[in-house]
Amino acid sequence: MSEVRKPRVPIEPGFFTVPEDPATPPRLLGSRCRACGEHFFPRRQVCARCLAEGTDDVLLSPRGRLYTWTYVHFPLFGSKRADHAGGYGVGQVDLPEGPRVMAVLQGEPGDFQIGMEMELELETLRENKEGQDVVIHRFGPAGRER
Amino acid sequence: MKLENVAVLGVGMTRFGVYRDRSNIDLAREAGLAALRDAGISFKEVGEAFVGYLGAMPMTGIRAMKEFGLTGLPVTHIENASATGLVAFRDAAWAVASGRCQVAMALGFDKMTEMSAGRGAGRGVGRDAIDSVILPAAYFSLWAMRRMHERGTKPEHFAAIAAKNWNFGAKNPWSDRQPDHEVTVEEILASRKIAEPVTAMMSCPVDDGAACAILATREMARRLQPGRPLVAPIVSALQSETYARGHTFMGPVVGPPSMTRDTAREAYEESGVGPEDVSLTLVHDAFATEELEYYELLGFCREGEAEKLVEERQTHLGGRFPFNTDGGLIARGHPGGPTGLAQIFELTRQLRGEAGPRQVANARIGLAHLVGGGSVCTVSILRRE
Repeated sequence: MSEVRKPRVPIEPGFFTVPEDPATPPRLLGSRCRACGEHFFPRRQVCARCLAEGTDDVLLSPRGRLYTWTYVHFPLFGSKRADHAGGYGVGQVDLPEGPRVMAVLQGEPGDFQIGMEMELELETLRENKEGQDVVIHRFGPAGRER
Repeated sequence: MKLENVAVLGVGMTRFGVYRDRSNIDLAREAGLAALRDAGISFKEVGEAFVGYLGAMPMTGIRAMKEFGLTGLPVTHIENASATGLVAFRDAAWAVASGRCQVAMALGFDKMTEMSAGRGAGRGVGRDAIDSVILPAAYFSLWAMRRMHERGTKPEHFAAIAAKNWNFGAKNPWSDRQPDHEVTVEEILASRKIAEPVTAMMSCPVDDGAACAILATREMARRLQPGRPLVAPIVSALQSETYARGHTFMGPVVGPPSMTRDTAREAYEESGVGPEDVSLTLVHDAFATEELEYYELLGFCREGEAEKLVEERQTHLGGRFPFNTDGGLIARGHPGGPTGLAQIFELTRQLRGEAGPRQVANARIGLAHLVGGGSVCTVSILRRE
């Protein structure tokens, strides 16, 4: 018996994958410079390091290390969900390819430690008029049951 | 490049605060007329104007200028987020220094209270953009949390800076926040939490206002104001971001902390002035956590020593490096466009010796610093000649 799943759409296209199967981890959409190999998130056409034109689309590692974090004591924007009312974590995560990604974090203030391994997931913000779930990428402590 | 043959002829501002019944243009007129009076000239003599704001409609700058008269002068809009006013000042200074005109006006105004009500890009709430979820408070708190991790900085250090700036506000008639009692560290820490470790009283208010500076050749300043100390901008540096590994591209990015170090280095090198020469400094303390970082990034102490500067009260009046003597963004206020020109207002009055109870003894050189989202950093240095 298959459970009925609502289709999911990203809050803004072009930043992360939204796998059909929620069990499949999402990936960030990045770029790799064809001339010098530097990686970027989000995607860009011109390399910010060597200024060469021409990058390849790549999927970036879904895991990285927490460089810094904070906890914002306001509801996550655009969300009316009760579990978003108290606030949300924000952090910068260093990916093994180089980019430092600033994103929402999953968890409470006590869950975060600088240097810990984080993994990418998708969080539902709300349902849109078409009945789809609007999702945003976020990082949570790696290897944790959710 | 060093600025030569330009002086501040006049400054004026409204008190920053919440002005529900007054328009941007109304506030701009008050600040501009005050600056013209302080300069002792008629608007006919203004050769060029640079107008900065964030929240109003396009063309509002030119419309505001018509309040002073319709003389045909060139008017240019400037927008660099929080740094707008100081960048308008930079272009006005260069318009004079380059010989393009004898007198230039830099005018800034904004009603942040209307922007944060959802009409502008200020808060991001409800906007369907992927990075509007990262509020400015969060971004600067990320710096602070990293600093606490690396250096053992305590929330009390940040609170002490906030309390200093609130208490400076009480000494400044143009300050939005003018507390009626000595604000304490405990009070700052007990206020509402915004984003770890920042509390509401460590954050700038949402407010409105206008400010104006009039620049002229030094010869003209000496001729019109023979009895007044000549205050001259000697350098104004402006930089956008420089790429390095670990750069973040998303969020209300104000660039890596190194932007402030790089921009200050440019200003110091080109003017020949060093941090040890600076009598007072005004910085972008939208959050108290930032000010602590700027002590180091602007070169007032070595890396890792900013906490000591706080503990020794070296950035208070009477300390070696008084910071944000007008209350800074935290107390004086931060409407946006006029913020940098309020800094020029304070530096000019301090360097003339007109700052009353908050006067820095024998102030000779003043430094103004702002960062602006997007992002940019700008540093201007003024000297009493």
